[in-house]
Amino acid sequence: MQNFNRLTQVRSLMSLVSVALLLASLFFMIERGYNWGLDFTGGVVADILLDPNLEQTDIKAHLESDLGHEVQILSMQGDGKWQLRYGVQDNDSIAALNDSVALLSSEFQILNSSVIGPQVGQDMIEQGSLAILLCFVLTMIYLSYRFEWRLALGSIIALSYDILLVLGLFACLQLEFNLTVLAALLAVMGYSLNDSIIISDRIREVLRSQPNGDIDTLLDQSIASTISRTIVTSGTTLVTVSALWLLGGPALEGFAIALCLGIASGTWSSISIGTVLPKMMGLQAQHYQVVDDKDPIDAMP
Amino acid sequence: MKPKRSKAPLNYSARWKYIVLAVTVITMLLSALPSVYGEREALHVSNRNGTLNAVDLSLYLSQAGVETHSITQQDDSFVVAFASPGQQENARQILSQHIDNQHTIALALEAAAPDWLGNLGFSPIKLGLDLRGGVQFLLEVDVASVYQSHAQALLDELRQDNRRLSGRANNGELILSFQNDADLRETRTQIRQHFSQWSITQDDSQLRLVLSTEEQASILSLAVQQNLQTMRGRIEELGITEAIVQRQGENRIRIELPGVQDPAAAKDIIGATASLAFHALHNQNSARSLVVKDQHGNPINLVRKPILGGEHIIDARANIGEMGSAEVNITLDAAGGRLMTNFSRSNIGNPMATVFSEYSRGQNGQSQKASEVISIATIQSQLGNRFRITGAGSLHEAQELALLLRAGSLTAPVTIIEERTIGPTLGAENVKSGFAALALGLSLTLVFIACWYRRLGWIANLALLINMVCLFGLIALLPGAVLTLPGIAGLVLTVGMAVDTNVLIFERIRDKLKQGRNLAQAIDSGFASAFSSIFDANLTTMIVAIALYSIGNGPIQGFALTLGLGLLTSLFTGVFTSRLLINHFWGKNTSREEKI
Repeated sequence: MQNFNRLTQVRSLMSLVSVALLLASLFFMIERGYNWGLDFTGGVVADILLDPNLEQTDIKAHLESDLGHEVQILSMQGDGKWQLRYGVQDNDSIAALNDSVALLSSEFQILNSSVIGPQVGQDMIEQGSLAILLCFVLTMIYLSYRFEWRLALGSIIALSYDILLVLGLFACLQLEFNLTVLAALLAVMGYSLNDSIIISDRIREVLRSQPNGDIDTLLDQSIASTISRTIVTSGTTLVTVSALWLLGGPALEGFAIALCLGIASGTWSSISIGTVLPKMMGLQAQHYQVVDDKDPIDAMP
Repeated sequence: MKPKRSKAPLNYSARWKYIVLAVTVITMLLSALPSVYGEREALHVSNRNGTLNAVDLSLYLSQAGVETHSITQQDDSFVVAFASPGQQENARQILSQHIDNQHTIALALEAAAPDWLGNLGFSPIKLGLDLRGGVQFLLEVDVASVYQSHAQALLDELRQDNRRLSGRANNGELILSFQNDADLRETRTQIRQHFSQWSITQDDSQLRLVLSTEEQASILSLAVQQNLQTMRGRIEELGITEAIVQRQGENRIRIELPGVQDPAAAKDIIGATASLAFHALHNQNSARSLVVKDQHGNPINLVRKPILGGEHIIDARANIGEMGSAEVNITLDAAGGRLMTNFSRSNIGNPMATVFSEYSRGQNGQSQKASEVISIATIQSQLGNRFRITGAGSLHEAQELALLLRAGSLTAPVTIIEERTIGPTLGAENVKSGFAALALGLSLTLVFIACWYRRLGWIANLALLINMVCLFGLIALLPGAVLTLPGIAGLVLTVGMAVDTNVLIFERIRDKLKQGRNLAQAIDSGFASAFSSIFDANLTTMIVAIALYSIGNGPIQGFALTLGLGLLTSLFTGVFTSRLLINHFWGKNTSREEKI
């Protein structure tokens, strides 16, 4: 029992930390905004291979004077490999770039280039928001069917917290927010929900088997009995996603970072916010006493 | 999966389940195998008129020092596969020097797996643009010609009321000249009343009409939208699902075709922007008639205004008609059907010409329209909204025509102004790093699970490996499934999450053992009590995957695909497969001393 009481304190403390982190995230989101990727803003990104002896500043100066607008230039892995980015100025950007780079170095190669117009970016933002909204609504419907509203709401809030935390990190570090990051956010939603559901399932089971127990003790007991599963699954998922971060290359970096934080946060929030909130909203053992005949497996001791 | 406790013995799995498992694993293994071999670079050399032969091709290449792996004939083209990568472009140049430009030479990839795998119907996983490179097109919608045709249409309309009216449409501007003031005023009033989208400026005895800016913008927008739609339809016909068709800038359309290494085949479909129109024949050559040549070069006088244009065509199918010649069966929409009915009713016995127009970009960058009368048919009876045209050439040509018509017809011509093949170097790099991450993630997970659960861990690991085989097999098997870089990320995530199913079960089994059950009982109730959580957890992730797949595009879809398929395979391996294996090894073990 002593142990369990301490667990309750730990959960409350974790929730407080979460609130602090959430406030920090919101601050960064408002204060710094996002480094939107090409997918959303439109513009030109080109990876080029040049004579390795050329200096970054020279390339930049030449391109800017020749193209007549600002060009961002980033060094990439490999000698003489650069990434150029700039807003779409006219319709022939790539052809113009080609001519301009040709003046710079006789041997060059445009490894890969993309031009995305501003309308396309607008479409992407709309589609992305729609996807997130739809996922929210669908999972909400499913959760409220599956659990009593207090646990369901707890899971949804925990889930929203995870998303906001990842968004906060991207604002704070000004990491590029592109389409793959959006996909990662949605995957985080799925993962976080997964965690919350496993714990909620166990809470329901424990509440049913011990209708007269102290609610905090029962919540602690549920968490304690799922903790090894939580650690193993989070552990393996984090390990694989870290492998992605480590070896996946620059194209997947943002995706892996978003997933890493999201998974860690998902585990954290399903233990803390996901259980503390339902209790604050008055979760009682009797809320789960109606034994559902359709679902005999859950009722097993 | 869950034996009826009352009847079946504990932990008994029927023999057929093992057979299902074995068959599934073997099938998936075979399906995944071609991807291990990868693909060979190849060239497709068309040989429609049969003037080429394999020996010559081989000779041309070997003389230039290009090593070929094989040259095979497929339908009416040769497939030249190369022994080593990086020779495609070189070989294309060599071959194009030797054969005339009637033959198209296309870059392609051929499965490198042994023939027997291919003969069984298994092919390698299709890789997306980011993994294998691909072709990207930039199309320009030529709105000027739409404005022009609007001006021409207005002129035709005004002439119906006033036959003496003289005017000409030029660059989307309509200039009307008048002999007297009364006529001018009358026409001006008429235009103001009925054609308010035209803005009028007066210039002595001339009226200059230009479409208002709002009208121009809406025409442009409609034309681009319609072209986007058409292009999407055509791409679909090409069988490339992850192709991206997006508006770019004001009047351009970007098309990405992953996996297509040869612009030629795609260009045939995308580039040949064709439209079809039906015209009545004009009996004499006059300024008002339209002169179009037929296939033999004979000029034919047509009434300028078509009876109806291609935008009314709903469906077009090619087949072999009763007479043994190719024909295209056309279905029109209601409005088109009415137009055709009205015209054909009063013109039975008169000829009707089918004009096929193709747009291409000329040397000075102007878009050129090349029209040809492909058939002149006598109207035999009143036509409705279904009829057929003959004289489109061979069945192959009829099919191509039908494809273009079916995918929708273009009211605004589109020309390809840029065409780019994204080099496979970058794609190869992405494949390498993606699979390195997968290998690292997978091996760390295997080691971790083996240490944590010991004996049961080996079952989970075996299940995880089978899961990967099934996942790869399934992606290769599903038509239209394309593996992208985010898709590989989805695979990596699946590896991490797939063990969850087994972890949930094993934790329950440990619980039951602690409660004092024997191993066989613990296994049975462990599986049973974990199932509800497993089902819930997978269902919610599935909701996310489906939402992502249906709304997202390109990279997001690739991710959603592997995530969703991964859920299915991990349910199969985590619940079904591991149960069978555990039943086999420990199903009858009633010891209470076993530790797992």
